[in-house]
Amino acid sequence: MANKNIRSLSSRKGLDDNLFENIAELSHKNAPKKDFQKLAKRFLVDDSVIVGTSSFYDFTREENRAKKIHVCSGTACMVAKTQTNLQKNIEKHFKKEEIGHAACVGHCHTNNAFMFDDKTFSAATNEELTEILSMRGQSGTPNNSYNIASNTTPVLTSKIEKVSNFYALSEKFKANPQQVIQELKTSNLRGRGGAGFPFWFKLDAVIKEPLNATGEETQKYIVCNADEGDPGAYSDMYLLEHQPHKVLFGMYMSGLSVGADTGVLYIRGEYPDSIRIVSNAIQELKDNKLIGNFKFKIIRGQGSYVCGEETALLNSIEGLRPEVRVRPPYPTQYGLYGKPTVLSNVETFANIHWILENGGAAYASLGTKLSTGTKLVSLDSFFNAPGIYEIEMGTPLATVFNEFGKGVKSDIKAFQLGGPLGGIIPMHKIEELSLDFESLKSNGFLLGHASVVSIPTDFPMIKFLEHLLEFTADESCGKCYPCRIGSFRGMELLQKAQNEDYKIDQHLFADLLETLEIGSLCALGGGVPLPIKNGLMYFKEELNQYFTSN
Amino acid sequence: MKAFINNIAYDFITGETILDFVRRIENNKNAIPTMCQDNRLENFGSCRVCSVEVALQKDGPTKTMASCHTPVTKDLYIYHNTEKIKRLRKNIVELVLSDYPTDKVFPAEDKKATPFQETIAQIGIPNVRYPEGENHLELEPDRSHPYIKSDLSQCINCFRCVRACEEIQGEMILGMSGRGFATNIIKGFDETFDESACVSCGACVQTCPTEALTDKFETKTLIADKTVRTTCTYCGVGCQLDVSVIDGKIRGIQAPETAEVNEGHTCLKGRFAFQFYDHPDRLREPMIKKNGKFEEVSWDEAYDFIAHKLIDIKNRHGADSIGAISSSRATNEENYLMQKMIRAAIGTNNIDGCARVCHAPTAYGMQESFGTGAATNSIEDLKQTDAIFLFGANPLKAHPVTGAKIKQAFMKGVTSIVVDPIKTSLAELADFHLQIRPGTNVAILNMIAHYIIKENLVNQHFIDAYTEKYEEFKAHVENLDMDELETLTGVSKALVRKAAIAYAKSERAMEFHGLGVTEHFQGSKTVMLLSNLAMMTGNIGKHGVGLNPLRGQNNVQGAADMGVQPHQGAGYMDVNNPENQKYYAEKYGVEKMPEFEGLKIPEMLDAAIEGKLKALYIMGEDTIMTDPNTNHSIKAFENLELIVVQELFMTATTRMADVVLPASSYFEKNGTFTNGERRVQRVNKVIEPIGNTKPDGQMVIDVMSRLGYDQPTGLTYDAAKVIEEIADVIPFMKGLSWERLGENGLQWPIKEDGTDTKMLHIDGHFKKGIGTFHHFDFEESPEISSHGEKYPFILTTGRELEHYNSGTMTRRTDNQTILPKDVLEVHPRDAKEKGIKDNETVRIFSDRGSVHVPIKYSKNVKRGVLRTTFHQPEVFINLITGSVGDKETMTPEYKVVAVDFERI
Ligand SMILES: Cc1cc2nc3c(=O)[nH]c(=O)nc-3n(C[C@H](O)[C@H](O)[C@H](O)COP(=O)(O)O)c2cc1C
Ligand code: SF4
Ligand code: SF4
Ligand code: SF4
Ligand code: FES
Repeated sequence: MANKNIRSLSSRKGLDDNLFENIAELSHKNAPKKDFQKLAKRFLVDDSVIVGTSSFYDFTREENRAKKIHVCSGTACMVAKTQTNLQKNIEKHFKKEEIGHAACVGHCHTNNAFMFDDKTFSAATNEELTEILSMRGQSGTPNNSYNIASNTTPVLTSKIEKVSNFYALSEKFKANPQQVIQELKTSNLRGRGGAGFPFWFKLDAVIKEPLNATGEETQKYIVCNADEGDPGAYSDMYLLEHQPHKVLFGMYMSGLSVGADTGVLYIRGEYPDSIRIVSNAIQELKDNKLIGNFKFKIIRGQGSYVCGEETALLNSIEGLRPEVRVRPPYPTQYGLYGKPTVLSNVETFANIHWILENGGAAYASLGTKLSTGTKLVSLDSFFNAPGIYEIEMGTPLATVFNEFGKGVKSDIKAFQLGGPLGGIIPMHKIEELSLDFESLKSNGFLLGHASVVSIPTDFPMIKFLEHLLEFTADESCGKCYPCRIGSFRGMELLQKAQNEDYKIDQHLFADLLETLEIGSLCALGGGVPLPIKNGLMYFKEELNQYFTSN
Repeated sequence: MKAFINNIAYDFITGETILDFVRRIENNKNAIPTMCQDNRLENFGSCRVCSVEVALQKDGPTKTMASCHTPVTKDLYIYHNTEKIKRLRKNIVELVLSDYPTDKVFPAEDKKATPFQETIAQIGIPNVRYPEGENHLELEPDRSHPYIKSDLSQCINCFRCVRACEEIQGEMILGMSGRGFATNIIKGFDETFDESACVSCGACVQTCPTEALTDKFETKTLIADKTVRTTCTYCGVGCQLDVSVIDGKIRGIQAPETAEVNEGHTCLKGRFAFQFYDHPDRLREPMIKKNGKFEEVSWDEAYDFIAHKLIDIKNRHGADSIGAISSSRATNEENYLMQKMIRAAIGTNNIDGCARVCHAPTAYGMQESFGTGAATNSIEDLKQTDAIFLFGANPLKAHPVTGAKIKQAFMKGVTSIVVDPIKTSLAELADFHLQIRPGTNVAILNMIAHYIIKENLVNQHFIDAYTEKYEEFKAHVENLDMDELETLTGVSKALVRKAAIAYAKSERAMEFHGLGVTEHFQGSKTVMLLSNLAMMTGNIGKHGVGLNPLRGQNNVQGAADMGVQPHQGAGYMDVNNPENQKYYAEKYGVEKMPEFEGLKIPEMLDAAIEGKLKALYIMGEDTIMTDPNTNHSIKAFENLELIVVQELFMTATTRMADVVLPASSYFEKNGTFTNGERRVQRVNKVIEPIGNTKPDGQMVIDVMSRLGYDQPTGLTYDAAKVIEEIADVIPFMKGLSWERLGENGLQWPIKEDGTDTKMLHIDGHFKKGIGTFHHFDFEESPEISSHGEKYPFILTTGRELEHYNSGTMTRRTDNQTILPKDVLEVHPRDAKEKGIKDNETVRIFSDRGSVHVPIKYSKNVKRGVLRTTFHQPEVFINLITGSVGDKETMTPEYKVVAVDFERI
């Protein structure tokens, strides 16, 4: 495992005087070089460590430090074509160099999205924009409302009546971690962050971590992956902002079970409201003494998609460059600061309370045999009723789109389901699919995080594919060769084919996709070929013109 | 457990990666190509060309995995050369080449292929089908550093340099900036090598698989006539070096990865500072001073002159009017011959070495405590220890490769305690830094022992079973007044207590000490108290523990082993003992040996002033520059009838000589050096002697012969034969032979059958039968009690990484460009009170004299303490150092000098 020295030095100050937060703070202040050097000295690392980290993130790198407003460049806003107009309006108020970008701020249901004054907004007109800008500095939560509904027993979307009663459940399971694991095993809860890994397994592995050299219990951590980076996805945002206690309880209970006294929420910086709401919820727990000595810590992301990848996320918290780590060792063995760590997605944690309250068997009776429970789906603004829907696994996709989404507003040729690495499903395949891991996988798509982005018929598929490769190239951590160079060259090829009299050698393109798919270290480089191959397969006619014929 | 390679089952080792497994089974390090992997670095998984297909059943569905970081599992089927894999590798290379200079794909005609060029040739060099796109080919090279240059247009982003910097050297100078395709290697705050805090170790250059990082000698791609492995001359670590020679000239040095001592690493001195060897300043002809001026003479004339004079002086004043100073830089064989010449051919025990000015107290103190004056353990034990107690040493500067290993351990979180008046970078990293007032070593050690006893953390079983006189020691420290010692040392007793507890509670704790222990009035006592600490906690006789002196010069250990001491002969036998005299006489084939022990260096100088010593024969030492109180030394030298010096360069000492003999450097001769962990390693001749020089050993044999003693191994210096003789004389080197030394040397004791010893006093079985506790009170140095009032500042001296001692060699290399001057570190407030600005030159003065030196504001020293180095002749710091020395061994107290300073 690389970077053990830097990791260890960072861990000396740990979460309280956190290296990453220090770097972010100096960057936001646009602090002079000597302050960064002082920070390096204080952490006993060389300057390159600080520069390496600060130059990585959208919100900390030097060229972005003067930005005052960030226009969403996410997929949903792109296909909705709202951003050119928004950009124009914003330019009326800001100098060009003050305008930056953010990759999805969770307004996929209304678009026209941007981030300003540590809040996120949508503004379709200059009047709306002017009003928003005039409210700078005022507290309060800007409007970000969308439909919420469920087609089954609400596990995630049900209301919590009284927080203290809600947490009382922990008393029952506190002394019996094995029972927690057993219920979770019975429930067959699988990770909601994309990979679908059985959750109980992580708890089990971390419990079994041996004592440290001096015979004491090893430091262990719970980490919640709230970096929901998939453009088009805002279901974690929903949970963080509307159901924070479901998430926090899941982490707390996990901590009690494995012997971890600290839970870290890594929340993306593009969700400033989520950060505020969760931190209020944590304060509420502390004030009411509901979580004993358990500590929560929120780490704010600084604009990087790859930080959603679990090992990059751990490096990020540590203040290291969020380059993906090799595995094994897995985070359960060597996680945050090299300590055993249970790391899972927001939605995964949010299920735990219901499972323990109602029993693993009750949960397993929801959904299909292999995909149990419910899944939050986020629908974009092309639907007549965009919003977050809690859908029982195995529900036909058509039901979700028609009964909940109420159908689409305009001509749509395909949907990308599950984020930028999720499949591109042509309209005609929707009828054949249901919302669960197996149905999507066996048809060459993915459940992923179950966000839905619609691709309008008049939106050129080549542009969409270019966008995916550009996104990957932009967000690539730059560690492994296939992704670092390959995604960039792929993007260049698609651009050249559109802008010049140039046809892409189809063998070269096939080699490139294979290299990305089987050669990449993580699922960013490894995942992007899937939607591209879907596109090439289902939209051949549209795309043929850009490729050589043999 | 078994796994399959191409469907054939083999046993694998638990934890082994697929890459190692396949390489091992196929016995081919190229069985699978790699780019980002280096055996010495953590696996990283960036290049992906090491990918293989794996399946859970024979010819079953496969997954592609990077073999370098994927462990083999039971019944795994590995297919490492399938069409799919070959295609993948080639496609990756194509991507890499799309951002790589086309004229660097193949090696230039007169150059060796780089590892990258070899790898792509192995995979097959594809046509790049990608149209020209964005690239990094325009990046400007960085030529700011005297040794290292970067040309990142050739960088393939393998991160090896970044990892080497962090994982081998323990620095983090190199980093990566940006992300995705825009990632870029940076130095420090994205600046040049020169501006960065790079310590020039060259680890990054050595691991870089391309020429993106090279040294100015372009060592990586040299096609050498031959490459000779030898042992570095610059410190007691004893790094192995691979020296490349073209047309009889040294062209570059790499560190062999197979070297046990340095595992492919060195510091900048070993790797880069070799240009001194054919510097125009090298002495090339023997010279005799005639009418106050040196004249070149023939070897015969020089030898005859020396022999004639020595015999004359001996006849007139007796053998004891002759003395010799041997050198810890010379080989064992040469040191052995030198002491033999003085003892057997001249007939006096007046032989001493430069260990006198450094580690004599270590040898003495450890002999008193344990019975052997050498490191109890090996450096590799650092991998097994739980705590490191570093006392009075800055190995990052003086023993860089060991220092880097210690730094790694500190950073990774081993319990770490540093006692040092200076806030060194290791002190900064340590859990506990006890920043004592210089000279209070005994006091702080008494405090530590006090708390260990008080907290009941002693290992009573070890004490009872293997040691003596513990009770007296215990009674002594138990009753000490901690408040008083707190005031004396300037370190809070609460902190000392915590450090003591941390040390004593560690399962395995290793002590290291340096000249900050020995170069003191109470030097030997401090060594014995350090020994106490190890004994009272049972930290002796197992791995990861012990007392491990960091030897100053490269062969301090060896010189002492060879008998370069006035009281002990080769193999540490007491020369006052008639039995031993008989033994030596027999071995040396002479009638009798001198009866009484001889003079130590300071005594020789005093004897010269008194007129009792008439001749001094010096091998490779700049006594005038390096010994304390220069004016005193000069006075002594002026009183001598004959001074003979064997040297590489003109020095302050040779200038005062009557005869100067030009010596061959260590590149020009064979022999052995013994490093700080008792490891005897070969020095192999790399090139022929420069000019008309001769190896020191040859000169000694020649002079000896003219004195009437013919070296039995022949009149030509032949290291291998001298070793045979040494093995015959020194009991604990019985099994030593040139052949057996092989590539990695042997650690003494070496048994007759050639087995060597990693660790001494195993399980508490001390060499002297039983370990002995000693106890001492702190005593203020006379330097302070006599001069402290008049000169209220304490000056302490140390070394910098770039230079070696008086700098005769390193100042004649580009190291001088990196660090051109000595400076005086002063606490800013002390300087400001005197109205002195940063970088201003001041006059610093003591009871002995004064020198001028530029100051540097530094918070690494406490108020009242000053620190400087002694590498540059311009400053000549020994004009102000004093004559106080360790009571037992007379090692000078360089570390405590009462001084004051003022504006000029
Ligand atoms: C490029 C990339 C981005 C990811 N982003 C997220 C994310 O935003 N949120 C998330 O929970 N998991 C994300 N993941 C998946 C995580 O690596 C990890 O599998 C997950 O957080 C584990 O939690 P789970 O088991 O609860 O799903 C991402 C993976 C990759 C490769
Ligand atoms: S595929 Fe490789 S370069 Fe891309 S994000 Fe993952 S590890 Fe980083
Ligand atoms: S020479 Fe050594 S210290 Fe300098 S950058 Fe290279 S590895 Fe780091
Ligand atoms: S400079 Fe050399 S070692 Fe460093 S990343 Fe580039 S190619 Fe690799
Ligand atoms: S050698 Fe395995 S990824 Fe580079």
